[in-house]
Amino acid sequence: MLPYMPPGNDIEFVLYDLFDAETEWAQIPAFDSFDRDTVRAIVTECGKLARDVMAPLSQSSDEEGAHWNDGVVTAPEGFKDAYAALAAGGWLGVSGNPEFGGQGLPKMLTASLEEMFWGANTNLWLYATLTVGAAICVDAHADEDTRRLYLPKFYSGEWTGAMALTEAHAGTDLGLIRTRATPRSDGHYSITGTKIFITSGEHDLVKNIVHLVLAKVPDAPAGSRGISLFLVPKYIPGDDGLLGERNGFESASIEHKMGIKGSATSVINYGDAIGYLIGEPNQGLACMFTMMNYERLSVGIQGLGLAERAYQMSSSYAKERVQGRVPEGSRVANTDADAIVGHPDVRRMLLTQRAYNEGGRAFSMYVGLQLDRAKYAPIEAVREKASGFVDLLTPVAKAFITDRGLECTLLGQQVFGGHGYIREWGVEQLVRDVRIAQIYEGANGIQALDLVLRKVLRDGGATVGELIDDIRQTEVPERYTAAMDEALNAWQEVTRWLCDSAPSDSNLPGAASVDYLDVTGHVLYAWMWARMAGVSGSTDKRYVADYYFAKLLPRYYSLVASIRGGSASLMEPSSDWF
Amino acid sequence: MDYQTPLRDMRFLINDVLDFDGHYEAIESDASRELVDTILEQCARFAENELFPLRASGDKTGCSWNDGVVTTPAGFAEAYATYVQGGWPSIAGNPAFGGQGLPRSISLWVEEIMASANMAWTMYGSLSRAAINAIDSHGSDDLKATFLPSLISGEWTGTMCLTEPHCGSDVGLLNTRAEPHADGSYRISGTKIFISSGDHDLADNIVHLVLARLPDSPAGTKGISLFVVPKLLDGALNGVVCGAIEDKMGIHGNATCTLHFEDSCGYLVGHANDGMRCMFTMMNEARILVGTQGVCLMELGYQVSLQYATERLQMRSASGPKSPDRPADPILVHPDVRRMLLTQKAFLEGGRVMTYFAAQLSDIAHRGSGDDRASAERLLDLMTPIVKGFVTETAFEAVNHALQIHGGHGFIRETGVEQLVRDARITLIYEGTTQIQALDLLGRKVVMNQGKALMSFIEMIRAEADLQSGGPFASALRELADQWGELALGLGGKATGDVDEIGAASVDFLMYSGYATMAYFWARIARVASAREDDAFMRGKVKTAQFFFDRILPRANAHHRAALSGADSLMDVSASEFGHH
Repeated sequence: MLPYMPPGNDIEFVLYDLFDAETEWAQIPAFDSFDRDTVRAIVTECGKLARDVMAPLSQSSDEEGAHWNDGVVTAPEGFKDAYAALAAGGWLGVSGNPEFGGQGLPKMLTASLEEMFWGANTNLWLYATLTVGAAICVDAHADEDTRRLYLPKFYSGEWTGAMALTEAHAGTDLGLIRTRATPRSDGHYSITGTKIFITSGEHDLVKNIVHLVLAKVPDAPAGSRGISLFLVPKYIPGDDGLLGERNGFESASIEHKMGIKGSATSVINYGDAIGYLIGEPNQGLACMFTMMNYERLSVGIQGLGLAERAYQMSSSYAKERVQGRVPEGSRVANTDADAIVGHPDVRRMLLTQRAYNEGGRAFSMYVGLQLDRAKYAPIEAVREKASGFVDLLTPVAKAFITDRGLECTLLGQQVFGGHGYIREWGVEQLVRDVRIAQIYEGANGIQALDLVLRKVLRDGGATVGELIDDIRQTEVPERYTAAMDEALNAWQEVTRWLCDSAPSDSNLPGAASVDYLDVTGHVLYAWMWARMAGVSGSTDKRYVADYYFAKLLPRYYSLVASIRGGSASLMEPSSDWF
Repeated sequence: MDYQTPLRDMRFLINDVLDFDGHYEAIESDASRELVDTILEQCARFAENELFPLRASGDKTGCSWNDGVVTTPAGFAEAYATYVQGGWPSIAGNPAFGGQGLPRSISLWVEEIMASANMAWTMYGSLSRAAINAIDSHGSDDLKATFLPSLISGEWTGTMCLTEPHCGSDVGLLNTRAEPHADGSYRISGTKIFISSGDHDLADNIVHLVLARLPDSPAGTKGISLFVVPKLLDGALNGVVCGAIEDKMGIHGNATCTLHFEDSCGYLVGHANDGMRCMFTMMNEARILVGTQGVCLMELGYQVSLQYATERLQMRSASGPKSPDRPADPILVHPDVRRMLLTQKAFLEGGRVMTYFAAQLSDIAHRGSGDDRASAERLLDLMTPIVKGFVTETAFEAVNHALQIHGGHGFIRETGVEQLVRDARITLIYEGTTQIQALDLLGRKVVMNQGKALMSFIEMIRAEADLQSGGPFASALRELADQWGELALGLGGKATGDVDEIGAASVDFLMYSGYATMAYFWARIARVASAREDDAFMRGKVKTAQFFFDRILPRANAHHRAALSGADSLMDVSASEFGHH
């Protein structure tokens, strides 16, 4: 199979040409040591690891899958060594808190590193990404001792993390969970219950696995206000970090799935397992959201990484595969057929992937930039504004990038024709692996509801308005200004219409949500493309920007029309009627 | 997982919307409503009881290959024997060779019922029908007498052997050779890949229809001939070797074979170098059948996701609790879950009526006479790429909604819904990818015949709008009729200046055409159903039509814009510029 090609040049373009990382980071004391050479070295080394160590195990891990035997879970062949290489290179601590051994790299940069990890081997990276999320949650909400004990182990890759939220009857609606946390005499809790769909909940890559578990303490209020968060390690560490007794949980089985077969998805039974409360009782959902928000951006980037891989494979195939005559001009003499890259519709499939992928790369790094500003900017007003943008854009990054991820991996597969359906070519795996990204960490329908209800309607569209103002103030090449204006106006108007109409129609937000998120994504990508074409000296970006404006941006017209189609046609039929 | 044949919807479309009674009378067939009912009911029983139970297990086990011998999943052979005993394969077969001589439309419904229950299994019989048509239309009397009786009875099955490793869409590149033999037969040599049902253990013999080149034949598609090559000839092996079966994303229960022809004896079908035309006899019917597969997968996806949405309790409705005595409301109350369900229902039932319409045209094209026949043929030519391309594209979207409604459970194999997505994916690829359908539609079926067939369909839309004058869909239909015609004309004009315009606009044009066609049928369905408002089924039809016009049809606008935006943004980029690292 084609080797993975790390998109290092484009990452540097986005960092330095598009978002002027030099100026940006000079203003933030925590980042002022990251000069261009250092960053290039990091991006290059990460790319090499992705290409040489991770990518070669992707297809074999899909073939082999993870194994379960009497509670013992074994990851696919080669994962243990590859994970050790990730750990040894310090890649699990890149965004970690420097106080506890993390490297504190800017999120704008680590977002791009994650793309390479996801793209090279999603199955393997799933064992790591939950560790990063767990570390962020522990860093934000746990007490000093817990942070000192656990964070260095997460950052060094010695231990991994897992998130245990879902139960058989409670997925989207976590208020329904039944796992109980009973106080023990030592001040800690005893956790009992069954969780399902626990990614990396059990495996053999490292010695200890630390679960973050949602459970209910006695007499907790009903619903989501009665949920608490507990840290539940597989082996209970002493204060010195040495592992002690095995805790009371085990994997009851692993799932057979459509994709990410190399990642072990466990059912976990907790039977009087010792749990340590994180944060305050009944505040678990808020703590969990710290982790979820990180994971949501990251899962968005999973969509990007796999779609980028699909582009690499399909563009290379399109240049090699000869089939049919191209309409004119570029025919190759003395051959029976031309490379399919000459056919307009094959180009449509390639350019669509490329436009959404490079647009998605810029967008995900833009969200990373906002996260950095929200956390580190010296001026409070800058932090606040960025924090509003992060809240607004997180659901868009999760859902829009993964929806485009499925679309693009499908187009990549389609370029291969019948060969794309055959497992050994490796491209159908990308489709199966990306499909879960539209579901986990909050299904994309939930992201859209979050966007419309919490991020747009709650402040009457103020944050969207602020972002639109920012966009209007950016300079973009003249060839795109008219289309850009028209798109911004449409977005602004439909936002206002939603804010005006929602109070009298409680079903409208849910009826409009998915289309609204899609409009938002399409307009933001247009902004990314116009800016990229503006700052790039090469024709590459201009070609793709032209294509994006001609062929993909027009999708918002129909989405806006569908939003204005309202909720009646959805809600009128009674439930029995369906 | 349960599956129930949607007999009510089938009958509604057959009797009330498309008036097959009148249609059968017009083509002088003695197929009656009672006969059709009996066939559908019996077939439903067979499919639900015998085929559906093998759907998941067939996916899990898949086919196996051992030293050239292919074994199908457990139970497949027994079910096939029941199918043959029941006389199902012969419904539309030529009575001169043991067939029942019923219209092809009935055999399409039988296919639909069976493939909804088990698509991978049904494919073993489906391909026989393509082979039968090719031999019946183009073969000599000898060939017909030798092969048709056993194919029609189902004792033997058929295949289509087109693709080779280096040629798929571009069949003109094929290398398989056919050498004339003294006895008038040919010796076929070469390798074919992706042969569905190419080898298996269901039938006594397998009859391959193989595209190959005669010595000194012209290059390209003009030098291709069609041959019948049986696996067994007079009971002895005929040099057809199954080299391997593919490990695929889906349709695991169907054996996709690499076949080596090693001096195999074959017989010419039709004239030398006329293979493409003969092959299209097979392909056109197969393309409608693939559209039907899309309908089948949507049907099962809709049934299971609807049931799940009714049972799964999660969150409260935005407008206040709907099941206050339970811990949460069924997810069916949430608007976005409804959007996913109604989108499925709109594509499913809209897709179904489109395939039935095509079947009606196909009946007329085969049995009608005079002008009726000619205009049906033209319209069928136009509808075939739309049914194949658009119905499968929307089916893939629909089964993904079915999966999405299940949340994380949808990703788990035992839930059974992810199999629908994996199985559906192939329908956008085989029998000509969506892209090939789109080129066929815009290039051959619209621009090359100056839009004649399209104009006749647009006239049907206008007539429907007139019938519904003052109704909720009339003005939208008129707009579509104008816009579709102008779009075709505009693209035709552009194409004379820049040949790339066809390819650049083709898929957007196909999707636009699909939405427009479906809009016409939903309006027509709503007209029929609105007369019977006392019935929940009929009210549902009207509401789904409204949903389609409000929430789905706007997509046509985006395709319209993109189709007209020209080829430059696609063609400016050079091949080397597609790399970017």
